Amino acid sequence: MFLSKIWFFLIALAAAVALTIALVMPRPAQRQLENEEHARLTTACSVIDILLTDAAHDRLMFTQTFARSAEVVNALDAASGAKELDANRMKQVREPTGKLLASSKGGAAPDFAILIDKKGRVVSRLKIDEDDFGDVVSGRPLVDDALAGYLRDDLWTQNGTMYFVSGAPVIRTNPPIDYVGAVIVGHKVTNDLAADLSHRLSAVDTQVAFYLGNDDVAASKPLALDHKPMLDALKNLTGGDISRDCEVNKPLAVNAGSDAYTAMVARLPGEARERGAYYAVFAKTAQSRGFMGTLDAVRKSDLSFKILIVVGIVFLLVLALGIGLMWIESDRPLRALQTDAVKLAKNEAERLAEDKHGGKYGSIARSVNIHIDKLGRDAKSARTNLDQLLGPAPEGSLGTIDLLAGALPASRPGGAVATAAPPPSDFKFHDPAPAMAAPRPPVQRPPTPVPTPAPQRPSAPVRMTPTPPIPAATPPRGVAPPPQPQTSNSTQPLSLDDDILGGAQPGGSTEPEVNPYFKQVYDQFVSVKKSCGENTAGLTYQKFSEKLIKNRDDLMSKTGCREVRFTVYVKDGKAALKATPVKDD
Amino acid sequence: MRDVLVAATVMASGVASAGTLVGKIELPSNLPARPKPVEPGFVERYENPVTPVRPLAVTQRMVVVVEGDEKPAAPPRVQWNLVGESFGHPVIAAAAGAEVTIVNQSKTARTLVAKEDPKLIDPGPINPSGPKTFHPPEAGKVYTITDKDAPYLVGRVVVVNTQYIAYPDESGHFEIENIPPGSYKLKIWFDTGWINRPDEDVNISAKGKTDINPKLGADAFAGSAPKK
Repeated sequence: MFLSKIWFFLIALAAAVALTIALVMPRPAQRQLENEEHARLTTACSVIDILLTDAAHDRLMFTQTFARSAEVVNALDAASGAKELDANRMKQVREPTGKLLASSKGGAAPDFAILIDKKGRVVSRLKIDEDDFGDVVSGRPLVDDALAGYLRDDLWTQNGTMYFVSGAPVIRTNPPIDYVGAVIVGHKVTNDLAADLSHRLSAVDTQVAFYLGNDDVAASKPLALDHKPMLDALKNLTGGDISRDCEVNKPLAVNAGSDAYTAMVARLPGEARERGAYYAVFAKTAQSRGFMGTLDAVRKSDLSFKILIVVGIVFLLVLALGIGLMWIESDRPLRALQTDAVKLAKNEAERLAEDKHGGKYGSIARSVNIHIDKLGRDAKSARTNLDQLLGPAPEGSLGTIDLLAGALPASRPGGAVATAAPPPSDFKFHDPAPAMAAPRPPVQRPPTPVPTPAPQRPSAPVRMTPTPPIPAATPPRGVAPPPQPQTSNSTQPLSLDDDILGGAQPGGSTEPEVNPYFKQVYDQFVSVKKSCGENTAGLTYQKFSEKLIKNRDDLMSKTGCREVRFTVYVKDGKAALKATPVKDD
Repeated sequence: MRDVLVAATVMASGVASAGTLVGKIELPSNLPARPKPVEPGFVERYENPVTPVRPLAVTQRMVVVVEGDEKPAAPPRVQWNLVGESFGHPVIAAAAGAEVTIVNQSKTARTLVAKEDPKLIDPGPINPSGPKTFHPPEAGKVYTITDKDAPYLVGRVVVVNTQYIAYPDESGHFEIENIPPGSYKLKIWFDTGWINRPDEDVNISAKGKTDINPKLGADAFAGSAPKK
């Protein structure tokens, strides 16, 4: 049964391993997925930074070109020399420069331009607040730098809108060379810009969004992402070098309604940084999280026909192995018990070899053996009672006829089995057999016969034999009677009544010689019959003695015994008589 | 233009005789360049290829102060104009206890606060063309006035023990009128601190002009670079 049990253990182990694999396997895959997602977002974040930087370069080139145009130089040169700026001058400047600005196309076309004279006054505005002029805008770092001769870019915010701005000095190149002002060109941060950036990130499938603190500015995809985790992540970006934000930052989980996204944020430079401007790259979080997520992510293409064939073959092999082992393990002990039982039935064995059987089969064998032992003890007890009724066999006799001899198995109680070693079952079930199996001391029969009164119960055997004497008391329980002499099975209880009574003739022949022993038996027989309520009329000593003599002679000739002893007893409520051959020792 | 935006009115008009201090600050040839922007853009700024860039306009951030032994009994009122995206003069000096009035001449409302003492200026925005007044209490202190919505907007108030203050023009010329005759010490403030040079003794005569041309060394601006 070991293999059967180990088979179940192996199945449980395989199931545990399979479950462990099922639960653990997604984790490395999920970790790898997260790492890939991290790398993807980091790449996207860095690419956005590069693209924005490249775009800043392009805007600076455009602004510088615009600042070098003759229309702009002449207009600002003239305005810088004027004490006051008026509307006419503003319009004179706005028209030609406006046409020039309108000629730029594509992504370089700015959303606004501001022309500033060398004193920092706004001479004209293009495409934004065009009627405002004359105000001083110097003081803003970008304007001051441009007026000082530097080219640089910045990021401005106004009314929730974000602008990429660039400034360039306007220089009169005709001698004397001098600064006559600056131009500021702005590009609005729009959804189209974000979509264009996202389109360039199509290889990594990432969206882009721009934020100003808690306010959405622009996004490639209209999503209401939760700002809090992104703002919290921004708090960790305290370094001054914002170009490293994409490297040091980590992806974070953000939600847009019920959809989960993974995002990475990076600060935006310039003035807008002071107001919490940042951009985020984000992508929908991969669904395969954990075991169920992995199952959800399985597609039909993942379950190829080859995989199914392999899995099916493995399943069938394992199933066949399991069934085979179970068949072997469940049938073999039964067949062994069957073989043992057949031997027992054929009398080739006296007991079932219970040691050879394990588990329930061993229990069955032990139970059978216990029952065999019980039958033996019952038979032995029956014989003991018979001995008590008949008394011990006289010295040299052939033994008492055992009426149960033909009903007992070959292995009789008190025989070989009784003297054999106690079976294991005796110990396991606390059977008294071990005590019975112990060597039995011989019972000393009493030296003088003590007649025992016949029991008054009609069904009980009645000891009426005059010789030999019977034991005065029943042997103790558990102690077998002493070995009996070899008895013969050739004799049977005598059937006297029919012969003696049926053959009785009134006024019979001459009186025979009276044998005292036969007379004693006769008297006992008559007495017992009377005690049993039987009719004794017609029962004569002559017939009785003749029958006894005849039976005695027959028995002596058959058995070769020295003499025959007759015993009167009660059988089925009637008096009966049996003959016992007595051999010499 | 900026010079005219800052006005100091001498309240002590009862002086019987007073002189005028006139001078020109001799600047070193190697003036400091404009500092790099605190918040750069995507691209590091670079110089135009046509002509050298302008150096820092140091005189815009200078204040000439003449201090005597007596403290002003009635400090004059000071008007400080807020023009566009910056103060008309990035740095002003005011006598201790003087009334300083900020006038917003820009088109944008500003909410100003002194970093060193948030209670110095009454809270609330200054609307276009609106004023806001405060009194710097103690001489020797410097107050940095900013607008949280416009971090680049920075102005400084230097509290001194005199009412004789001048702001040099682009070439370094300055003039202080109505100074009582006597002995004074001339000090020059640049942006965030006094210029590192010995105080110059000035004797003001009862009438006429007194000329003085303080000369700044090459290291005059070391350690006092402008801060936005």
